[in-house]
Amino acid sequence: MDLTFDARETAFRDELRAWLAANPPGTPPHGDEDAHYAWRRDWQRRLAEGGWAAVHWPAEHGGRGATLTQSAIFYEELAAAGAPLPANVLGLLLAGPTIMTWGTQEQKERHLVPILTAEEIWCQGFSEPDAGSDLAAVKTRAVKDGDEWVITGQKVWTSMAQYAKWCMLVARTDPDAPKKHQGLTYFLMDMEQDGVEVVPLKQITGESEFNELFLDGARVPDANVLGGVGNGWKVALTTLMNERSGLAFFLQVRMRQLLDQLVGEASARGLLDDPVVADKLGELHLRCEVLRLTAYRGLTAIETYGQPGPEGSLTKWMWSDTNQALTQLAADLLGPEALTDGAPWAFELLRARGNSIEGGTTEVLKNIVAERVLGLPRLK
Amino acid sequence: MHFDLTDDQKEIKRVARELLAARSSWARVREAAEGGARYDDALWRELCELGWPGIAVGEEHGGQGLGAVELAVLLEELGYACAASPFLSTAAAAAAIEACGSGAQRARWLPALASGETTAGIGTRALCADGVGAAVLVLLERPSGEAMLVSGAECAPLATIDPTRRYATVSGGDAEPLGDGGGAGARAAADRVRAAVAAEVVGVAQRALEMTLAYVKERRQFGVPVGAFQAVQNRCAQMLLDTESARSTALFAAWAADAAPERLPEAAALAAAAAADGGRAVTASAIQAHGGIGFTWEADVHWLYKRAQLDAALLGGARQHRARLAALAAGRVAASA
Ligand SMILES: Cc1cc2nc3c(=O)[nH]c(=O)nc-3n(C[C@H](O)[C@H](O)[C@H](O)COP(=O)(O)OP(=O)(O)OC[C@H]3O[C@@H](n4cnc5c(N)ncnc54)[C@H](O)[C@@H]3O)c2cc1C
Repeated sequence: MDLTFDARETAFRDELRAWLAANPPGTPPHGDEDAHYAWRRDWQRRLAEGGWAAVHWPAEHGGRGATLTQSAIFYEELAAAGAPLPANVLGLLLAGPTIMTWGTQEQKERHLVPILTAEEIWCQGFSEPDAGSDLAAVKTRAVKDGDEWVITGQKVWTSMAQYAKWCMLVARTDPDAPKKHQGLTYFLMDMEQDGVEVVPLKQITGESEFNELFLDGARVPDANVLGGVGNGWKVALTTLMNERSGLAFFLQVRMRQLLDQLVGEASARGLLDDPVVADKLGELHLRCEVLRLTAYRGLTAIETYGQPGPEGSLTKWMWSDTNQALTQLAADLLGPEALTDGAPWAFELLRARGNSIEGGTTEVLKNIVAERVLGLPRLK
Repeated sequence: MHFDLTDDQKEIKRVARELLAARSSWARVREAAEGGARYDDALWRELCELGWPGIAVGEEHGGQGLGAVELAVLLEELGYACAASPFLSTAAAAAAIEACGSGAQRARWLPALASGETTAGIGTRALCADGVGAAVLVLLERPSGEAMLVSGAECAPLATIDPTRRYATVSGGDAEPLGDGGGAGARAAADRVRAAVAAEVVGVAQRALEMTLAYVKERRQFGVPVGAFQAVQNRCAQMLLDTESARSTALFAAWAADAAPERLPEAAALAAAAAADGGRAVTASAIQAHGGIGFTWEADVHWLYKRAQLDAALLGGARQHRARLAALAAGRVAASA
């Protein structure tokens, strides 16, 4: 057992720190979401130029072949430096690895570099009005027409579709398949075409991160089927497996920074002498550390056994619960000031409500823990 | 970064699990409990022959020369078995004296503790585990306070709800701070003792979780195993989360004790807070998931619940450790401002 970084990991961290010091991310621009997104996109371009955009990718695809621990260090350091998540986070964490796993040589050559440089942004077209937690229930149809597929249907909650050139799209190619998991196909869909309409959805924060996606005769060439016709469920699982890994470390550091900020503000108001306040802050400190330690245990398990241990399924649930408790405590301690329109704490409070929904709801994660980790029976 | 036991540590764990399954079955634990915490002498002798009380004591004093992580591994297994034994008190006290004691203190107490010839007590004057008959006590009066070495004290048996262990109240005796003075060593000793108790709680919680999983997979109602009901499943998922949280922090504390002493105060507070609350929550859930059976003296889950309650009391409750964590966080924020 060794909870320190070894020489390679330290060297990696030091090199990254030096680079971040020489290339500070700067402060986010004031103004609208588009300006903010442009800033993140520019930031990713700079990361890519420095060779830092996708450290976990193999070197042949422009990454550094970083180990999981180095990748964790990368996200921790990025967050510690006050950097935003790279603009093309869905491309880097989801589309890229899925294409590397399932893609043809042509698909890899076509897509990986523009993902890295943020030249082409990706979105994830999985959820539909009638297929959320029950993802395999997607209804969007893809019908063969010569060497193309014609797509009709609706996606929803599609984050960053407004900026995306490409979409990871799961659609039904065989409606007669005996089981709903069968008959699905995973497409790489070009968003810049007539049959694709993106309609922004306003979120409870007032922002519009996610969108509705109306697909009406959108066309996808055969060459853009990923992983074979009818194999979409398996390919989608690859995407989902990648969803919950690397991000945890970035989010964990961000949450720790938020907690430090709250501790500072509580201290400035003389609230730390109140034992009830101290108790709650102490609990949050504990939960942040439990998350960090448990995430590292998960990494070791994957590095040693090739798969996460039981602790690996817990971190996203821990994070969303803790972030919600933290932002709620801020509202308790700071009062109306934390609830005024436009206050950063107000944004955090509202945004945190999405944490236990996005990327799989907490209820669904608990089901996964119960069934796959604890081996409990399914209710038929 | 390698956050897992080494192969050697896993081997210790395996040996302990097997030995205790054979020597400290529920029938034996029950026998001890119903006889008024009558410890099984044969089991203690066996643990001593293996050199376990001195696992973290240096070889020059007759110990195994291993560290706090190996001790934590054993304690988790003793907790898993809910063994009726003075092992926790003796081994934790010995480990604290080894790491933090003055030369004289080590020479005086370690050889007999490492061999198991004498035993030690740990806790406070109001609640001391294994105080009766102990040669020496390691007492922690306050969370940030120092560990005191107390000998010649009067220990009065205290019947608690956990009859799998002997408890006492303590009066009198000769007390001196553990270590060479200066306080840092005595504080670290107190943290080591807390880390040890937290490691035991991990095993207690793990056992409660496993017994519950086995039960809810078997027990049928409404034509299905009760473990198929989502409310039961969610309870079990929460038990796993609490158990793993306690494990992450207990391992961190054990590791920090030897490898990163500057992080021990925080690590021990994390482990103590996670164990004190987590152990109680997991074992309470175990009773609930067993239904009426879980409320009977006959079913064994209640021993775990009771042990978790007393361990939480030995840890001084989670609240004071959370207060300490809040103070640490505030100090860090102030320093970086
Ligand atoms: C900020 C944000 C960004 C998102 N971005 C994307 C994106 O880019 N691409 C994309 O495809 N999707 C995205 N999503 C969608 C997200 O994946 C879904 O919202 C989520 O999977 C839940 O589906 P749903 O909204 O249909 O809720 P439902 O599945 O209808 O769930 C409603 C409630 O029922 C509960 N529930 C459902 N099934 C079960 C069950 N079996 N057991 C117990 N409880 C259950 C849920 O936990 C929830 O509380 C995003 C969501 C958010 C909030």
